[in-house]
Amino acid sequence: MQWTTIVKKEMLEDFRNFKWVWVPLVFILIAIMDPLTTYYMPKIMDAVGGMPDGTVFEMPEVSPYTAIMMSLTEMSMFGVLVAVAITMAVIAGERKSGVAELILVKPVGYFTYILAKWTEKVILILASYIIGMLVSWYYINLLFGEITIGEFVPLVLFYALWLIFVTTLTIFYNTLFKTPGIVISVTIATLLGMHIVYRIFQHKLSWFPNSLSSHIGDMLNSGSIPSELWGASLVTILVSVVLLFASRYVFRTKEMAN
Amino acid sequence: MSVIQVKDLKKSFNGDEVVKGLTFDLTPGNCVALLGPNGAGKTTTIRMLSGLLKPTKGSIEFEGAGNKQDIRSLIGYLPQYPVFHNWMSGKEFLVYVGQLAFLSKTEASKRADELLEKVGIFDARNHRVGKYSGGMKQRLGIAQAMIHQPKLLMLDEPVSSLDPIGRREVLTLMEELKKQTTILFSTHILGDAEEVSDDLLLMHKGEIVESGSIEALREKHQTAKLQMVFRGGNKAFIDPIKQLSSVNDCYEEKAELHILIDDLEKARQEILTEALANNWAITKFELSRTTLEDLFMKVVKH
Amino acid sequence: MEELGINFALLAPLLLIQLLLAIIGLVAWFKTEETNGPRMLWLVIILLVSYIGPILFFIFGRRQ
Repeated sequence: MQWTTIVKKEMLEDFRNFKWVWVPLVFILIAIMDPLTTYYMPKIMDAVGGMPDGTVFEMPEVSPYTAIMMSLTEMSMFGVLVAVAITMAVIAGERKSGVAELILVKPVGYFTYILAKWTEKVILILASYIIGMLVSWYYINLLFGEITIGEFVPLVLFYALWLIFVTTLTIFYNTLFKTPGIVISVTIATLLGMHIVYRIFQHKLSWFPNSLSSHIGDMLNSGSIPSELWGASLVTILVSVVLLFASRYVFRTKEMAN
Repeated sequence: MSVIQVKDLKKSFNGDEVVKGLTFDLTPGNCVALLGPNGAGKTTTIRMLSGLLKPTKGSIEFEGAGNKQDIRSLIGYLPQYPVFHNWMSGKEFLVYVGQLAFLSKTEASKRADELLEKVGIFDARNHRVGKYSGGMKQRLGIAQAMIHQPKLLMLDEPVSSLDPIGRREVLTLMEELKKQTTILFSTHILGDAEEVSDDLLLMHKGEIVESGSIEALREKHQTAKLQMVFRGGNKAFIDPIKQLSSVNDCYEEKAELHILIDDLEKARQEILTEALANNWAITKFELSRTTLEDLFMKVVKH
Repeated sequence: MEELGINFALLAPLLLIQLLLAIIGLVAWFKTEETNGPRMLWLVIILLVSYIGPILFFIFGRRQ
């Protein structure tokens, strides 16, 4: 099947250029840096000894829930940046260099091509993200207290939808623009725009994709999945599907040699 | 019967018409050269035939392709500057594109070995494409175009970027491939076209100005011609000679004036009379016949 | 440093990640013939800027 052929080729490419090594490592760093520094900061302050004797250095007690939400906050910043950066050239780069001219004169379905590229990047990004979150979970259980598997799994799965959305958005812009630099700029501009819109109309937009992490926080605190989380998940999935079909449409109407 | 039928094919970029209504068809088993100077619209034409560009107007029909069949499975295409995945080996790339053309992995691998052998880069099959020389890349490009045994092989300027040795090798390879498939290749060099092709499509400014088999064209355009050289430069004589009633055309090439005429006797008389009257310093006056080169030059200069 | 209450077994993975990133950054650097910008500058960045240096090289340093 053509789809498998392209997915395999992309996998091989990402093995050879070390993405399958460094992306998971970076996601581990992203996931653990905030919980770790939070835990060690008071001790480091103590050790540096900047405080006069007797000063009690009070740090608010950090709950395991707060700690794991720190991981998600870092993901939504640096994780998203890395995801966009490694996806920015996935189609645009092939068109810019001219390889696409050889590939797309073979009887390859355009949608198959897009979908295969999407699949491989989603697998790489989600695998890295899950590895990062597992390491973070391990640290948090040691340092801050227990998060049960029943809490951890839904948290990881729901937030994965946001990363899938970000990847799909980047793929979409890949079909519109030929320059990876433009793809990354436009994608980040779109994400910033969504963030601003969400900040302003937060209360009216409880199903907005950007609301996923705040609903996940509510889920941890309340112990049950709030209906808004289902709503936001549904919207995120729908938008991603629409973006995929939009990519297909754009790609079909485009002239590949241009 | 023809492999491909092209009718009134047009292409504009931002209102600028680059290809102005091409109509032609290709006979199976023939090797056809799309000959024309740079900017004639050759690449645009080939890209339209390969499906990479959408025609502004006109139709392209492949023989044996129903409405459902993807025409891309019938053609092999090599762009002028082929770009590969540099991190792959030559063999890996061939197997990859072979699978994209619906070969199984074993078939693709077998076919890749055959082609690597045929194009002469079998020894480098496991090296990264990034390390290949220009000639090797061109040959890998031909191999990837042939991987799915296309009915029509289209090569865009396959030899123009190569050194003389690479050029020779690729031309010999094309001679070989002619036996297996129909070939359409573009070139701006008449010599390359004469060497391997059976038919010629002469293209200029987006139009086909002449077409037919090489022999037929040679015959058709074999008219009488005078070649003259003057002491102290030929340029000054172009206009006076052009004005003579027996002269069809006159141009300078390789330091000689080429004078195209119909009636040899009449022209000779007229020119020599003119020369005596004005005391022209003729150093060469030769009678010959036009070649395809003259036809090409005539087309390009006008 | 044990008296600081810092458990170094817990921080060891961080150092390992740092080391791994630097090593594969270096390998990738060796394999890249054409970098975006001066090649030697990238070597310095990979070796001296911990964590971020290799990542920057992976994303921006290599011509695709």
